[in-house]
Amino acid sequence: MVQKHVKRSPAAIKEALCGYISISPWLVGFIILTFIPILSTIYYSFTRWTIMDAPVWIGLENYIRMFTKEPLFYQAVRATSLYVAMSLPVIIVFGVLLSLLLNMKIKGMNFYRTLFYIPAVISGVSIAMLWTWLLQPDVGIVNTLLSYLGIQGPKWFWDPKWALPSVASMSLWKVGGSAVIYLAGLQNIPPQLYEAARIDGAGKLRIFFRITIPLLTPTLFFQLIIQMIEAFKVFTEAYVITKGGPLKATYFYLLYFYEEGFQHFNTGYASALILFLVVIIMLMTAAVNYTSKHWVYYEGEGKSK
Amino acid sequence: MKKDTMKLALVLALMVCLVGSLFAAGQKEGAVAAAPKEVVTLEWWTWDSEEYDEASQRAMVKEFEKTHPYIKINMVLLPTKGFETKMTTALGAGVGGPDVAFFSVASWYPKALVLDDLIARDKFDIGMYYKGFWDTKTQFNGKTIGLPLGVGSSLVMFNKDLFDAAGVAYPTNSWTTTEYLEIAKKVANPAKKIWGAEILTRPFRAIWYNYGPNARLYSPDSKTVEGYLNSPESLAAYEWFYDLMRSGATPTVSDMSTLSTENTGPIDLFMANRLAMATLNQGHMLNAVKAGKNFGVVREPGVGDNPRHVNAWSLLVGIWEGTQHPEEAWTFLKWYVGPEGQKFLMDNANLFPSIDAVGKQYKDADKDYVKAFLEILNDTQVAIWRGAHPSGTKVEASITDLWDKIKLGLITKAQIKAELDALVPKAQSVLDEAKKTLIY
Repeated sequence: MVQKHVKRSPAAIKEALCGYISISPWLVGFIILTFIPILSTIYYSFTRWTIMDAPVWIGLENYIRMFTKEPLFYQAVRATSLYVAMSLPVIIVFGVLLSLLLNMKIKGMNFYRTLFYIPAVISGVSIAMLWTWLLQPDVGIVNTLLSYLGIQGPKWFWDPKWALPSVASMSLWKVGGSAVIYLAGLQNIPPQLYEAARIDGAGKLRIFFRITIPLLTPTLFFQLIIQMIEAFKVFTEAYVITKGGPLKATYFYLLYFYEEGFQHFNTGYASALILFLVVIIMLMTAAVNYTSKHWVYYEGEGKSK
Repeated sequence: MKKDTMKLALVLALMVCLVGSLFAAGQKEGAVAAAPKEVVTLEWWTWDSEEYDEASQRAMVKEFEKTHPYIKINMVLLPTKGFETKMTTALGAGVGGPDVAFFSVASWYPKALVLDDLIARDKFDIGMYYKGFWDTKTQFNGKTIGLPLGVGSSLVMFNKDLFDAAGVAYPTNSWTTTEYLEIAKKVANPAKKIWGAEILTRPFRAIWYNYGPNARLYSPDSKTVEGYLNSPESLAAYEWFYDLMRSGATPTVSDMSTLSTENTGPIDLFMANRLAMATLNQGHMLNAVKAGKNFGVVREPGVGDNPRHVNAWSLLVGIWEGTQHPEEAWTFLKWYVGPEGQKFLMDNANLFPSIDAVGKQYKDADKDYVKAFLEILNDTQVAIWRGAHPSGTKVEASITDLWDKIKLGLITKAQIKAELDALVPKAQSVLDEAKKTLIY
């Protein structure tokens, strides 16, 4: 088979060159700041490296150690998985509910929208400190209010059974940020659909489940992936409040990675740890993406393909 | 005759003046002719602390530059945690490191300039430093890699007002862990939210070492956990902590967590008169003096006649081996960690010098709390074991579950032995792995 050699015109070459020059700032940034570090991390994950000396190639030893010799690895995986399972529904459900409230046509709505969004721009450390005091068992406001109702509040962050739910409940604080995204999705739903449904005699619940939710699924899909990735990256709460305790109940994966990489400077092992997390996140994202064709609806297309 | 003599004297005087001025002018001419010494700027990385704040360190730099016009110091103040990351990155990459800095992490030691030749050449008097600190802080593989800045130690501060109110006698340096418990219970007043003693942050502090030579994480040769972590001495120390936690004399775990300052212990509780005894340090002690607190100082309690230990420290200041200006860096280091610099930081900040002769000039050297502190420094240093066993931190981190269980009351005293035995294989595995990553 003879391949035809297509000769490009000078104009086409010039156009291509302009294109490459235009994207070169991004391309250079991507190669230096992302691509090379990713390749380096993959390489370092097969080495023993404490930064001070040259890396020593040890093959799969870091991965073998991770899966067979480090009980902390499984504790970190367990705590993180439980956190994702607890916090993700909270942030999705409450985010949608809040966005419905913020979508109402009442006086002063812009003020409420701003109010609920404020926590999203406050530093994670400040929020963690605030929650430490809110949930302080002896003098915290939550237990004080519970005591007025005759309820003995739990010890929250300081009880192995309650520590993880306490940290997960802090996700509530962040729903303002995701509610704004849902709000944009809600406002993209054509009002004539609601009008038609009402003329047909549909009730509010029916409209919500048959129109609002299906047409919000592209936003839900996007938010599910973003919030899931965020949940896997949970760190600040454990680092500031619980230090991973009590009894490793909040010993999250990134805390484990941080200790190995930046306290013990086991950079090779930490590289293997972070690559494992990347793989897990990619698999989970792929799984969500795969299921999306069954539940995500795009206007005019029906279910996503 | 008399006139002639006077004339002669006048002529001689004029000649002397003429020759003198010519000589002086010649000298001046020569000085101008010599090439001016190039001004060298040194990069000095530091942080601020209870012992030396930013202002006092900047003032110290000015003081140094006054007498060393050809050396400029670029003082880079870093947050403590950022310091570690920046140093590790710079030393690991081999570029962009500081000329002079704290070498506070063991893995940095191989990157410090060896000072023995400079010390010998300049006949620098290393005998001026406290020997215990010189031996434990400045040596690496038999070589001197820095000079010790200041001294500090853990110590037990007790609130005399709370003791007096409870009618309890003050503790003395010879006190035991049993007495510590009894005193804590007597002085505590839970109804008023006054506590006797704090909850220790972790095991294997000085008190553990006081329980005996086998109350250690593992063997002296870094090979065996069995018989050390679960030794009768370690068990006794854990049981003592269990008794303290069940005594009702300590704040709650959540109180300790929210009311203690990270890395500085329960200073706020102590200063608020809510904690009668607290394990703090000399920086807190000086702050308590400034605040007018009525307090005393004793060393941590002992066990029988066992050697007493102290968690003492001095900060190793070294020169990066990649410096382009080793001579100037050495000049600054000698001054900064020598008598001049340490005296300046003692007089203008909260530093206790690592030089005995300078320490004697401390303004309150005759005060009881200073005497008590200086006496504590003579105890055996925990750092001797810690320095010889860099895997200790990692192994210790692997056994914290038992600590949590005792603190939270999730275990009985009788179960501690079985828990320790169960931790041995886990700790052994961590020790074996941690040793592989050691760089020396």
